[in-house]
Amino acid sequence: MREKIAVLMGGRSLEREVSLASGRRVGDALTAAGYYVLSLDVTEDLVSTLRSERPDAAYIALHGKYGEDGTIQELLEFLSIPYTGPGVVSCALSWDKSVTKHLLAEKDIPTPAWVTLTAASVKEMGAATALDLVSDEVGGFPVAVKPGRQGSALGLARVDSQEALADALLSALSYDTSALVERWVEGIELAVSVLGEGEDAEVLPAVEIVPPQSALYDFSARTTPGDTDFFAPARITPEAAKEVARIAREVHNALGCRDVSRVDMVLDATGRPYVLECNTSPGMTETSLLPMAAEAADMTFQDVVSRIIKAALSRRQSGT
Amino acid sequence: MGTARIVFDRWGDRYADCIAGVRSSAVRDLFAAASRPDMISFSGGMPAVDLVPSEAVAAAARNAVIHEGSAALQYGGSDGRVQIRTLVAELMAEIGVRLKPSDLLITAGAQQGLDLLAKTFLNPGDVIITEGPTYVGALQAFSAYQPDVHCIMMDDDGMRMDLLEAELKALGPRGAKFIYTIPNFQNPGGVTMSPERRRRLLELAREYDIPVVEDDPYGRLRFDGGHMKPLRSLDEEVIYLGTFSKIFAPGLRLGWIAAPTPILAKVLLVKQAADLCGSNFAQVTAEYYFQGTGWRRTLAELIRTYAERRDAMLAALDEHFPPEARWSRPDGGFFVWVEFPAYVDCSSMLAEAVEYGVTYAPGDGFFPDGRGKNCMRLAFCYASPEAIAEGVRRLSEVVEDRLELYRAFMAAGVLPNREEGAA
Repeated sequence: MREKIAVLMGGRSLEREVSLASGRRVGDALTAAGYYVLSLDVTEDLVSTLRSERPDAAYIALHGKYGEDGTIQELLEFLSIPYTGPGVVSCALSWDKSVTKHLLAEKDIPTPAWVTLTAASVKEMGAATALDLVSDEVGGFPVAVKPGRQGSALGLARVDSQEALADALLSALSYDTSALVERWVEGIELAVSVLGEGEDAEVLPAVEIVPPQSALYDFSARTTPGDTDFFAPARITPEAAKEVARIAREVHNALGCRDVSRVDMVLDATGRPYVLECNTSPGMTETSLLPMAAEAADMTFQDVVSRIIKAALSRRQSGT
Repeated sequence: MGTARIVFDRWGDRYADCIAGVRSSAVRDLFAAASRPDMISFSGGMPAVDLVPSEAVAAAARNAVIHEGSAALQYGGSDGRVQIRTLVAELMAEIGVRLKPSDLLITAGAQQGLDLLAKTFLNPGDVIITEGPTYVGALQAFSAYQPDVHCIMMDDDGMRMDLLEAELKALGPRGAKFIYTIPNFQNPGGVTMSPERRRRLLELAREYDIPVVEDDPYGRLRFDGGHMKPLRSLDEEVIYLGTFSKIFAPGLRLGWIAAPTPILAKVLLVKQAADLCGSNFAQVTAEYYFQGTGWRRTLAELIRTYAERRDAMLAALDEHFPPEARWSRPDGGFFVWVEFPAYVDCSSMLAEAVEYGVTYAPGDGFFPDGRGKNCMRLAFCYASPEAIAEGVRRLSEVVEDRLELYRAFMAAGVLPNREEGAA
């Protein structure tokens, strides 16, 4: 009998539309690979549907809040439905950029200097009075200001002066209750996808992102075809490529990821990679980075999706 | 293994300069996130078409096919059928404007009228004058022709004539191609131009020899107070844009332009090039729909419904919104305009509002120059009174949360002082 896969997509996150696009594409690939696919937009009926349909596994094509912060993962554990991608703890760690960076720093994995401010520390503890310290703390302007927990670079801004900092923080704090101010590393933007887990984890070729002139690879650049240039594999030296791959695997494993993740980095002028974040449910749309990396490695989209779902199905017996 | 440049749109470098810069905005993306069913939307100005009786529309469409099929299914004149232009002339007479059918041209909604006028009048860099804020669709229609848009602030009586006069003085006679105004229940401002201001506007337009474009989609949707004379009824030089979208339904895409004969002749040429002719089927259907008096009952019902929704929104704003906010109290139309202190950024606030399950249109979209960030437009036309009350309550929580943050930043002295925000 064909195995039944619930593809979870949509939901209430700000990345709902991207997720629907990922989910449709994943669903098509799974159908083509011979699975019986149940496409589910995540609503309050999700649990009753999963209980009556009893899928063999769930493919998580959700992005953003509740999809990659551990919420859906925890629910699927409770319902004893194996699912794709990293587990609860890895998702929770990766979703919070500040927590991720603390963890990376502890393991001596390079990540740009940063400070974190929260709505609570601003409102309850007067954190806004310390904005004058930020510049020294992170090594001067420019800086990147971003929400602590949000996907697709929503709410990201580049700030060049102290005067513009408060506004950018207020904007970032509209997307989440925490915001990061991070040293702006000038260099080559890379997205490095990782499949599998542990020492056997396979690192796909890095994808190089060249945003439109003097702009950011922000949400609209990410979702507007033709706005940004991509190169896969990235135009970097073989030594740099090797180092980037080593670090991506290290990040993937340090956060305890399995099946799939995408590590975003910047390679500075000296060839030193800095890790910005790790995504536990990378985009799977026509314009997403992981599918580009797979293609550069001569893998089809269906190969990638099949490999990820097989990993989830293999966990059926073990109870997760 | 070679490196491949990945290209999603291989024509990316081939598009015209004037549209190449148009990108999906973060705000539009947030609205995409807002497509979920539990969202209360104050963002779109969508008419309550569910109140338009489907039997009446079905009968009109059936009559159009059965009785006038050969005309309804055929091409027509570029100016529209004489029957519908006669109907429009009758409708205009009801609001005090005397017109002959030959003074009129039927368009695909008033929106096409905006595009045709811009195409007819504008060279890149030409100055036009609008209210600030103004209808975002007009800004979009105009922007394709790359004008230099000068905004005139409003108060409770509409466009401020002292500011307009100063602007005209600076620009000199014929210094702008036209003055675009929405005198009734302005979109997005919600204010109506007073009779004195209307007269003054026409005086100034005559003095500086600049045509006035009067866009009047909401004129018949008045809830309180007396009807105010359209500019066109006071001056035959005025170019008037009307629409069936609010008195019938936007799905028919039917509007009209009334203009002085030479202008109308030019616009007609432009329209021929744009689409040969409008939809005859829609025109014949509208002609049947407006026979008899059924449409008047429906319009009265629409007005009653919108008034109830306006009341619900104003009551909820009065109850929930903080003293830092000020808002317009429209006598008709679809919109309330809310203004916050200059330090508030309603664009970024939208992300939090979406989290809370409510959306609105951030104010900066209604200006050509990035002003209006501290403002929002709330559309009361579409949601039920209960949903409006709940939506405003949700929004007030977002606003309160934001204001608390702003206060903390201001207490720390780290928010730069801003100019007084947009009206």
